[in-house]
Amino acid sequence: MRKVWLAAVVVLGALAFGQQEVKAGWIYVGPIGDYGWTHAHDVGRKEAEAAFPWLKTSYVESVPEGQAGSYIDQMVRQGTKVIFATSFGYMDAVLEAAKRYPDVIFAHATGFKRAPNVATYMADFYQVYYLNGLMAGALTKTGKVGYVGAFPIPELKRHINAFTLGVRTVNPEAKVLVRWIYEWYNPAAAKEATEALIAEGADVFAFTEDSPTVVQVAAEKGFPSFSHYSPMLKFAPDYVVSGQLVHWGTIYKDFLAKVYAGLYTPKNLEDVDYWWLLPQGAVELGADFGVPVNPKFAGRLKAKAVDHPIFGEISVYDLVMKLHGLMKDVELAFDPFQGPIKDRKGVLRVPEGLRLTKHQLETMEWAVEGVVGPWPNEPK
Amino acid sequence: MVESWVVATLARGLAFAVPLLFAALGELVAERAGVINLGVEGMMILGALSAFVVADASGSPWLGVLAAAFVGAAAAFFHAFFSVTLRANQYVSGLALTMVGLGLSGLWGKAYAGRPLAHPLPKWDVPLLKEIPWLGPGIFSGQSALLYLGFVFAFLLWVFLYRTRGGIHLRSVGENPAAADALGINVYLVRYLAVLFGGAMAGVAGAYLSVAYRPSWTEGMTAGMGWIALAIVIFAAWDPLRAVGAAFLFGAFYHLAYRFQAHLAPEFLKMTPYLFTILFLVLSALGKGVRLGAPEALGRPFVRGER
Repeated sequence: MRKVWLAAVVVLGALAFGQQEVKAGWIYVGPIGDYGWTHAHDVGRKEAEAAFPWLKTSYVESVPEGQAGSYIDQMVRQGTKVIFATSFGYMDAVLEAAKRYPDVIFAHATGFKRAPNVATYMADFYQVYYLNGLMAGALTKTGKVGYVGAFPIPELKRHINAFTLGVRTVNPEAKVLVRWIYEWYNPAAAKEATEALIAEGADVFAFTEDSPTVVQVAAEKGFPSFSHYSPMLKFAPDYVVSGQLVHWGTIYKDFLAKVYAGLYTPKNLEDVDYWWLLPQGAVELGADFGVPVNPKFAGRLKAKAVDHPIFGEISVYDLVMKLHGLMKDVELAFDPFQGPIKDRKGVLRVPEGLRLTKHQLETMEWAVEGVVGPWPNEPK
Repeated sequence: MVESWVVATLARGLAFAVPLLFAALGELVAERAGVINLGVEGMMILGALSAFVVADASGSPWLGVLAAAFVGAAAAFFHAFFSVTLRANQYVSGLALTMVGLGLSGLWGKAYAGRPLAHPLPKWDVPLLKEIPWLGPGIFSGQSALLYLGFVFAFLLWVFLYRTRGGIHLRSVGENPAAADALGINVYLVRYLAVLFGGAMAGVAGAYLSVAYRPSWTEGMTAGMGWIALAIVIFAAWDPLRAVGAAFLFGAFYHLAYRFQAHLAPEFLKMTPYLFTILFLVLSALGKGVRLGAPEALGRPFVRGER
């Protein structure tokens, strides 16, 4: 239905405005070959370019967060009309540039500040993390799941919390050990952090870092892991269970089609905030596209049964599939952050019968019970 | 519990020490000949890229290591030419080498970024020795062959420096090039060879990162290890055997930074080795029982016939 509607909008727009060309530019924080964040955005860019004949794209990679402004200037000088800034740290530079160029449309990924010509967008994984957590809880033998995190910011805290809630649904005594590397992309640090977690007894791994390092290190020792961001199944076909995948292209196509159709203008973006999850197809469960669970782990996941409050006695595999279906097809039929949820200091964070708002999800600083490790900015 | 800590710290400290050790041994030889080369980071990263490219194309990681040694030496040649033949400022020439190396490798490596290496350098278990409790799993199993090669290099270099005529020549060139020249030693040749050796070792250090430690190419993957190697040379007081211990110490602190993360700021552990280095420099400057032993002519270009 969405596609039909979108096509109609595009055709109407084209008729109304004539065949003009749209020039869109992307500002990337890392190299497009990083096999993580930037790579995924670039896949989305190419997807949009392939879909729309009227679209011309350009990009700059490895732009330091403090220098986004001058790169935006350059893009605007080249006639770019739509600029996607793909890192949280570009936020202020984007807002300043938006004031300098009131006729240019800006879209800022992961940010929360908007303006008449600045929209924000995010494809979030927290639902997928919960599903991965269910599987991790079933697979750990030591009761310790390792998590290598990039930065202790709300986005990662939300993901680790959702993951931990999943782990503890299946394995109420299990712990999620967290180590931070304070970098988005540092394979050596990710490797040493993983080794440290292995030494602490962790035997299943998930992570946020833009390389397949954690997957590779875990596989070397024979431990299962969950891939992050890009399809990493091929790096360790016997050891990657599942993971989270992104489809930035769905957002880029939607956004650009609406720009082309004249629905989005540099005057009306103040309230345009994409927060796309499983139902919109912006994110996907799996270590490779179309493979939600590695078939090699299906047996172990089917063998582990849990007593679930909604479904009763059910295997972890079936539970993952059921909840995946619920979250994917019916928006809000199930949510990982369903109260009552207490943080690890005992404070009730989500009261019984309630869920968190998008704002609460975006500003989450607390840690759920079961998270072990440093947690900067943890509320008292 | 204690065992797991000791074993993990040994194993991870050594794994992380390999690139530091190779780079430090190479720099140590160059500095013993009186040439300081701040281009270690640049030579390392060029070595890392060339090792990955050759290993990826040929399917042989060892060929990659060899290629890295050549490329490292080739990069070092420029430093030798500028600082020995043209007598340019060694610090400036070395810094330039680091910047050029980081830039060029980033440019040339674009096509290889994010690709895994199909045939990485294998890990070795040392027969018999791996059965020793604690030390076996810590040192003698699951490590790269380059670690043991690094041990061998350190020992051979120590023998060379202190027990052979060639070693005396090398040291005398670094201590007093004019006297060495008067004795008929070709100062320029010795310095060239020492700098080239340093480059080759830095290249191998980089190769370890891209074909063994984490078999893939990443822009800027040396992440400052070249600078740590320079600190290790000072910390080890220009002694190859002490360099082994110093490299391990830096590696162990890197590992422990993650183990202790829950209790201690990771930044603190990561800077600890540098604090030690500074403390060591201060103690030696005060003459408190620590002999620094920096080569007398370190950093000074040699001009024949001048005193």
